[in-house]
Amino acid sequence: MAGEALSGIRVVELATMVSGPYCGKLLADMGADVIKVEPPEGDPSRQCGPFPPGDPHPERSALFLYNNTSKRGITLNLDTPEGLDAFKRLLTRADVLIDNHPARYLESLGLSWEMMQQLNPGLVYTSITPYGRTGPRANVKGDELTLIHAGGLGNLLPTRSADIDRAPVKMGGYAVGYHGAISAAAATMASLLGRMKTGLGRLIDVSLQDVILTMMRVNVASCRYHGTSWSRVPDRPPAMGRMKTSDGYAVLGAIEDYHFRSLVEIMGNPDWVTGEDWYIMWYRINHLMDIAPMLDEWMGQQQKDDIHHRVAQKGIAIGPINSAKDVFANEQYIFRDYFVDVEHPEAGKHRYAGWPYQMTATPPRVGRPAPLLGQHNQEVFCNDLGYSSEEFEHLKQLGAL
Amino acid sequence: MEENTLPLEGIRVADFCWVWAGPYACMLLANLGAEVIKVEGHKRTDLTRHGVVWPLPDPAPHEVPPNQGMSLNSVNMNKKSVTLDLTRPEGIELARRLAAMCDIVVDNMRAGAMARLGMSYEELRKLKPDIIVVSESSRGQEGPHKDYAGYATIHQAVGGAAYLNGYPDGEPSTSGGDVDLINATTTAYAALAALYHRMQTGEGQFIDYSQCEGVSSMIGDQLLGYELSSQVPERMGNAHPKYAPHNVYRCWGVDRWLALEVHSDEEFAALARVISMPELAEDPRFADMASRKENEPELNRIIEAWTRQRDRDWMANEFCQAGIAAAPSRDWRDLYADPHLQARNAFVTVDHPELGELELVGAPWKMSDYEMPTGYAPLLGEHNDYVLREILGLSEAEVVELRRKEIIM
Repeated sequence: MAGEALSGIRVVELATMVSGPYCGKLLADMGADVIKVEPPEGDPSRQCGPFPPGDPHPERSALFLYNNTSKRGITLNLDTPEGLDAFKRLLTRADVLIDNHPARYLESLGLSWEMMQQLNPGLVYTSITPYGRTGPRANVKGDELTLIHAGGLGNLLPTRSADIDRAPVKMGGYAVGYHGAISAAAATMASLLGRMKTGLGRLIDVSLQDVILTMMRVNVASCRYHGTSWSRVPDRPPAMGRMKTSDGYAVLGAIEDYHFRSLVEIMGNPDWVTGEDWYIMWYRINHLMDIAPMLDEWMGQQQKDDIHHRVAQKGIAIGPINSAKDVFANEQYIFRDYFVDVEHPEAGKHRYAGWPYQMTATPPRVGRPAPLLGQHNQEVFCNDLGYSSEEFEHLKQLGAL
Repeated sequence: MEENTLPLEGIRVADFCWVWAGPYACMLLANLGAEVIKVEGHKRTDLTRHGVVWPLPDPAPHEVPPNQGMSLNSVNMNKKSVTLDLTRPEGIELARRLAAMCDIVVDNMRAGAMARLGMSYEELRKLKPDIIVVSESSRGQEGPHKDYAGYATIHQAVGGAAYLNGYPDGEPSTSGGDVDLINATTTAYAALAALYHRMQTGEGQFIDYSQCEGVSSMIGDQLLGYELSSQVPERMGNAHPKYAPHNVYRCWGVDRWLALEVHSDEEFAALARVISMPELAEDPRFADMASRKENEPELNRIIEAWTRQRDRDWMANEFCQAGIAAAPSRDWRDLYADPHLQARNAFVTVDHPELGELELVGAPWKMSDYEMPTGYAPLLGEHNDYVLREILGLSEAEVVELRRKEIIM
């Protein structure tokens, strides 16, 4: 019988854009009860899109809709005493607080970590910030573009550049936010597990710069201890890797000798592969400049999906470079039911990306679509927090919601 | 004292993984206090023990001994190592017995590889009913592409992220091992959630992980954007759909760059003051976000004319102090030298028996009452005796016999 891995866990999410909200989504789609707290004007990701053509409506932003599934949503103005009081009441009954504001924000409202521990000693406080809560840059601003460079990954992109005089570029989308969210979710789970033994919560300090640095952990150590190169411009023209096809691109990784042998067969035993030396990796590495144009010419005549299947079926690592449209057409994804249909009252019914993990006992699911702004105000205040309907109306009149 | 505060103390993990994506998932669990046993076939050890180091300025391959590669050492800290001959029944049987004494079993081999060793979830749950088994393959355990192999860059291609990386007028681009390491982190998250469920209910389970899908889930907003609009999202370089300036600017020197992003009029006015052109904030071409976005090429030209003549780190500091998000584009030397990372102990010192002190990147999180343990990546077969005698309970005579038959090294 299928259950929900995190049922019974109560999460308060005071977070915007990607890093905090996607962390909340990871927990919510596993069954945690996540209450998203938005300022009265809403999470700015509601303004970011992408939107349906010509329709930049705050309930139809893909960035918001995707990152906030399975949550309930309330609005709170923390600058009013009543709003702040309601927030404290939420924290008192929560297991986890996810916050991606600067550390000083909640402190300025009187909610230091020490104060939170007094309110609720079991609370796991997951704080996600650009540079972490300590150190000389603790209060410095940062976001997608600056942090991917702060952590070292940006300097290597795009890989295989030909021109060192062209600026590096970031990854598409919100890579830093997603990486941070996933790291924060893992740390949150670890803390919830640790709490089973001690009953005590923890402060988790996720620095997005640190997260990107940890993704570069092999590169930095290899440069320091092995003298490997660090540059987005490779030392010599690469053979294999990303290659142009007649209709797009594919990434080919025929690295081992038996891979190359199969590849030669698929290519129809071309004349340039003469003699057994070609089936020795070091020989090929020393003749990259000879191989590269031959492989490029051959690959340029192939179609990316066709060559993907023909080469992959021989056990060689290869993949087409898929656009968003191609991703939706991937028969393997469709076989695995990767996409989930979600019906949202304002945005309609659409296919959403699902989860890379299929779990036999506790399959993740979208429990509900992303909340409309303030959709669950009455439910949360009256049912969860026990406000009377008069008190709730009073909160509304005070502008606390 | 520290020992008692590690959240996964008492959890044992069998790590049948290799290269980066699987081993790092298990290392994250080891960092949190789990006892992780890295199992390698002694005729087919982890690829990172073969130690081919790349890319080097010299085209000659450079091999390092089995315990000394930085790939191995960076993604296998705090584990124990056992080597078994997994091509022979006695070796496989020992592996099965070990797996059944673990709480979590992780592999990142091709689909079906563990089943061929008699260690499918169905087999293992017969030996240990509440076991959690995680298979982290390229495309998933079932389906038309289940046998397709992949590396990080291929997962990034199939998953749809590589298409989005690069110059708007250029080719798509893959990154590299970072893709493996974030898939590893997602895998660790799923395993921890399963462990939480087991502690609540006593129920184990099987997790079938697809690394291609791991990439797609990190561009879920772009995918949904396509669903909503039927517009295929394209490469945007450093540009943001709304904000400008939002770019990487050339600085004084060779290959020196500064990343800069402005999210409000207030920040733009501060930027204009830093570059001694306060009038820009009043200029109708740049007065609000929409006009800045519209005149972005001209704005980029003005900013770069200023940055081109100045020192990268000095400018980064000026901008940050003025309340603007700015960062030097750091390479590995800049990272090791960054005083902020040093102040946060982002690097940890590992005392390696063959290499001496190594300064390696630590954990992706800090926690109260938690210090990441700093054990070195285990030497090949270093814990054979411990695993066979202490965990599997073999006698000394049995171990001697296994060694004579070369079932263990």
